[in-house]
Amino acid sequence: MSEQTARLIRTLLLIFLGLWLILTLFPLYWQFITAFKSAAETNRTIPSFWPEVWHFENLVSVFAEPTNFSALVDSFIIATGNTIASLVLGSLAGYAFARFPRQAGGENLAFWILSNRMFPPVAVLVPMFFLFDAMPWGTDSYLSLIILYLVFNMPLATWLMMVFFRDAPRELEEAAYLDGYTPLRAFVKVTLPLVLPGMISVAMLCWIFAWNEYLFANLFVGTQVRTFTIVIPTFTHGSQTLWNLQMAFSMIAMLPPVALFILLRRYMVRGLSLGVVKG
Amino acid sequence: MARLQIEGLCKGWDFPVIDRLDLTVEEGEFFIVVGPSGIGKTTLLRLIAGLESADAGRITIGGQDITTLPPYKRPVAMTFESYALYPHLSVFENIASPLRARRLDKAAIRKAVTDVAKLLRIETLLDRRPGEISGGQKQRTALGRTLVAEPQVFLLDEPISHLDAKIRHELRLQFHSLEELRRVATLYVTHDYAEALSLGDRIGVMGHGGLVQIGTARDVFMRPRSLFVAQHLGQPAINAVAARLTGEGAALQAHAGNTSFGFPVVAAHAAVLARGDCGQVTVGIRPQHVRVLHNGEDAPGHHVIDAHVEIYEALGANGVLVADAGGVNLTALTSLERDFAHRQPVRLALQTDSVFYFHADSGDNLLL
Amino acid sequence: MSVADMPNAEIPGAEMPDWFVHKKPRANLIVARWVPAALVGLPVLVLFAIVVYPTVWMFYHSFQDTNMMRLFQGNWSFVGWDNFGAVLSSGRFGDSVVHLMQYLLFGCVLQVILGTILALTLYEIVRQEWLRVILLIVLVLPMMLPPSIVGVLWKFMLTPSNGAVNQALLNLGLVDKHVEWFNAGVSLWAIIIADVWNWTALPLLIVYSGRVSLPPAVYEAARVDGAKGWLVMRRITLPMLKEVIAIAFIVRFMDAFKFVDLVYVMTSGGPAQTSELPAYIAFQRGIREFAIGEAAAYAIIIFAISAVLITLFLKYLKKVLKAQGIA
Repeated sequence: MSEQTARLIRTLLLIFLGLWLILTLFPLYWQFITAFKSAAETNRTIPSFWPEVWHFENLVSVFAEPTNFSALVDSFIIATGNTIASLVLGSLAGYAFARFPRQAGGENLAFWILSNRMFPPVAVLVPMFFLFDAMPWGTDSYLSLIILYLVFNMPLATWLMMVFFRDAPRELEEAAYLDGYTPLRAFVKVTLPLVLPGMISVAMLCWIFAWNEYLFANLFVGTQVRTFTIVIPTFTHGSQTLWNLQMAFSMIAMLPPVALFILLRRYMVRGLSLGVVKG
Repeated sequence: MARLQIEGLCKGWDFPVIDRLDLTVEEGEFFIVVGPSGIGKTTLLRLIAGLESADAGRITIGGQDITTLPPYKRPVAMTFESYALYPHLSVFENIASPLRARRLDKAAIRKAVTDVAKLLRIETLLDRRPGEISGGQKQRTALGRTLVAEPQVFLLDEPISHLDAKIRHELRLQFHSLEELRRVATLYVTHDYAEALSLGDRIGVMGHGGLVQIGTARDVFMRPRSLFVAQHLGQPAINAVAARLTGEGAALQAHAGNTSFGFPVVAAHAAVLARGDCGQVTVGIRPQHVRVLHNGEDAPGHHVIDAHVEIYEALGANGVLVADAGGVNLTALTSLERDFAHRQPVRLALQTDSVFYFHADSGDNLLL
Repeated sequence: MSVADMPNAEIPGAEMPDWFVHKKPRANLIVARWVPAALVGLPVLVLFAIVVYPTVWMFYHSFQDTNMMRLFQGNWSFVGWDNFGAVLSSGRFGDSVVHLMQYLLFGCVLQVILGTILALTLYEIVRQEWLRVILLIVLVLPMMLPPSIVGVLWKFMLTPSNGAVNQALLNLGLVDKHVEWFNAGVSLWAIIIADVWNWTALPLLIVYSGRVSLPPAVYEAARVDGAKGWLVMRRITLPMLKEVIAIAFIVRFMDAFKFVDLVYVMTSGGPAQTSELPAYIAFQRGIREFAIGEAAAYAIIIFAISAVLITLFLKYLKKVLKAQGIA
C-alpha cells in the first residue's frame, strides 16, 4: 500500500470517528436543550435547535410532582440495597472460589454462577411474579426488586470479586496466618484492604445496573414503590407528553451513573469486560 | 526442649513430592536444606508451617504434635521467598503484625518493634511502606517480623537468594551473628550450596522425595553419599565421568569408555572398590582436584595427563578451564594469573586420592 | 516455584509409594472443610430460588395448558408439545424470528464492526493520550444510560411530525419529506437505530481495552522488522484481538435474545406486531395476555438458544483468561 493511500485511509477513519462523535453527542445535546425549553416550544411543528428562552426552572418544576422525587428515592433505596446484598454474597463466594477452589466446588461452579448473569430474564419473570405475590412482602415492594436484581448482579459480583481476590497475593494471607491471625482476621487485615478498589468498582457497577433496570421494575412495582425508570416513559400531563420536563427529569436521573462511570472509568473497564481486561 | 521433630512426613499432589521424610532439628540448631529448584524444599517448610496438610507422618515441636494444627496455632514463624510484606502497611506495622495478632498493648509493641529494628539496622525506615525500600531492607523487615514473634521454630525460605551479591554477603554475616536465630530451631532453605556450607550447623541435601544426606557442611562436602549430592555441592560442578574399572588388586585402573582417558586407582580406594562388583562406575573429580601444571612442573603423587584447552573463563577469584583430556572434558580451577588460548596443549595433574567413585546406576558412593 | 507446578515430573526409578496410592484428599488446615462450601452455598441457594426454580417452573408449564384462570384454580393439564407447536407454527413467532435476524444483522453485527473500527481508530490514530481518554468517555456514555431514558429520548427525537431527526435530515437535504419512523416496517429500524446508538459502546470499550492490554514488545519487534500500518493491523493486532472481538460479539448476541426494554418503551412491538422480537412476545404473552403455557414455551426456546450462546461465551472467556493467567 502506498504512503498516499495509507494517509487517505487515516483521514477517512478520523472523519468517521468525528461523525460518530457527533452522532453520539447529538441526542444528549437534544435532551439538554429540550430540558430548558418551554412546553409550547417543544410542540412546534418545526423544532428549534436552540431554546428561545432558557427555562432553568424546569429542573425545579419536575419536582412539583412529589412522586417524581420519591421515584428517585425509591430507585436509590433499591439500587443501594441490592448492591450491598450482591457485594456481600458475591465477595464471600468469590473469596472461596479464589482461595479454596476445590472445596468451593471448582471452576465449573464459578462459571455456572457467572452464566446466570447472561440469563434471559423473561424466562423468570412470570413464575417470580406469582411466587412473590404469595410472599408477605408482595411484588410491589423494595424487597421484591432488591431480590430480583440479584439475578444479574450477584453472579457479576461473585465473578469479579473472584478475579480480584485471585489478584491479591495469597502469600500475604499466609504470612498473616503465621503471624497468628485467624482466617477471618487475616482477611480483614490483609486481603480486604488490597481488594478494596476492585470492590468499590464492583459496587458501582452493580449499583448502576440496578439503578438503570427497567423490565423487572415495570412488571413488579408501580403503586407503592415506583422507580424512576418506570416513571419516565409515562411522563404525561393529561393526554400530552411534557417533553421538556421528561427530558429534564431524565437528565437528572442519568447523572449518577454517568458521574460514577467517569470517576471510576479505569476500574469499570475491568468490570465490564468480566475481568478480562486490566483497565 | 523445643526441638523440631519430623517423622515419616509425606506429601504429594500429582506425584509424591516428600516421601517418608525424617528429620530432627535440635533447639538452637541452624539447619540448612539445600537442593535444586522445584525439588520440594518450600513444600517442606509449608508443611511445617501448616500452610499445607501432610498426607502422612507426624510433626512435633517440643513434644507437642502439631500435624493437624492450623498455621495460626503453631509456634512457628516463616519468611517467604517473596518476603510477603503487607504493601498497605508501614514497615513498623509489618514488623508489629505478630504482636498485634496477640493483642499486646501499644507500649510493649513499640518497644519490641524498635528493638528488633535496631538489631536489624532498619530503625530509620519504620514509617516507610514496603514499596519504598530496597530488596535488602525488605528482607530485613521480613526477618524482623519473624524475630519479633519469638517462635519456637524459624523457617527461612531462600531469604537472600534474590538479592545482589554484596547485600547477600552482608546478610549472610548477619545470619551468623543473630543470637535470636541461634537460640531456637531454625530451618533454612536455599538452592545455593555456598550459602549452605557457610551457614549451617548441619546440612540436609534434598533430592527427589526427601533428604538424601544429612551431616555437617564438611562431612557432606567431603563424603557425599551419592553422585546427586556431589553434583549439587560445589561450583563449578564436579566432573562426572562414566568409566570402567579394569585390572586386579592394587593395579586397578579407571578407563572412560571409548576414550584414551584413564588413571590408576590409588591403593586405598582400590582396596575398597575391589570388594564389590563394580566394573562400571561414575568417577567424580572436583575441579579443585585437577591442577593445570606449569611448563616442566612435576606433580608427585598425582596422575598427569595431556590435554588441550577447550574453554577458559576468568571469573572473580579464579579461572575455570575446560580441557579435552583424551576425549573427556574436564573442568579445572586455575589461578587468575594464568591465561590460556583455545586448543593450547596443557598438562593436568589429577589428585587421584581425592577422586570419588559412584555406582553407575544408583549413584551411591562406593567408597563409603 | 513449588513442585506442585511441575507437571508429570519423572521420579527416577520409583514406583508410587503405598501412602501415595492410597492417600485421601485432605482438607486444608486453614479453615474447616465446610467453610468454603458455605460461602459458596449461600449465593447458589439464592440462584436456585430466583433462577433455577423459575426456569424449572417455566419448563413444566411449557407442557401444560396453563393460563391465568387455570393457574389460580390449580387445574391445568398436560398438553405435550402443543404449546411449542402453537408457538412454532404461529405467524407471530415466525415474524419475530425474521425481525430478530434483521436486528442481529444490523444491530449486533454492525455494532461489533463499528465498535471495532472506532476502537482501533481511536487507539491507533489519535495520538494524544488525554484526548483519547476524553473521547473514550464520551463514546461510551450512551451505554451508561438507563434503557428507559434511551427509549424515551429516541422516541422523542424520531417523532415524525416535529422530531429532531427528521428536521435534521430535511435541513441536510437527505430527505424531502418526513420519515414516518413508527409506521409498520419502519418502527423496527427506529429501534435498531436507538440500539446502535446505545450499545455500539460495548464492543468499542471491550475491543479498545483489549488493544490497550496487548504487549507493546510485539509492536516493537514489528517495527524493527519494518512492518507498519495495515500490515501490522492485519498480521498482529486483529489476530491477537480475535478472542476479545469474539467475546464482544457473543455478549451482544446473548443480549439480543433478552432484548425487551427499547421495544417496550419505543413501540410496544407495534404497529400491528411488526417490531416484535421473541423475548418481547414471551414477555407479552405471559404478562399481558396471560397465556402462560405458551409464554413458557417461548421462554424455554429462548432459554435453549441462550444456553448454547452462554456455553460458547464461557469457552472463549476461559480461553482468554487462561491466556492471561487469570484462571
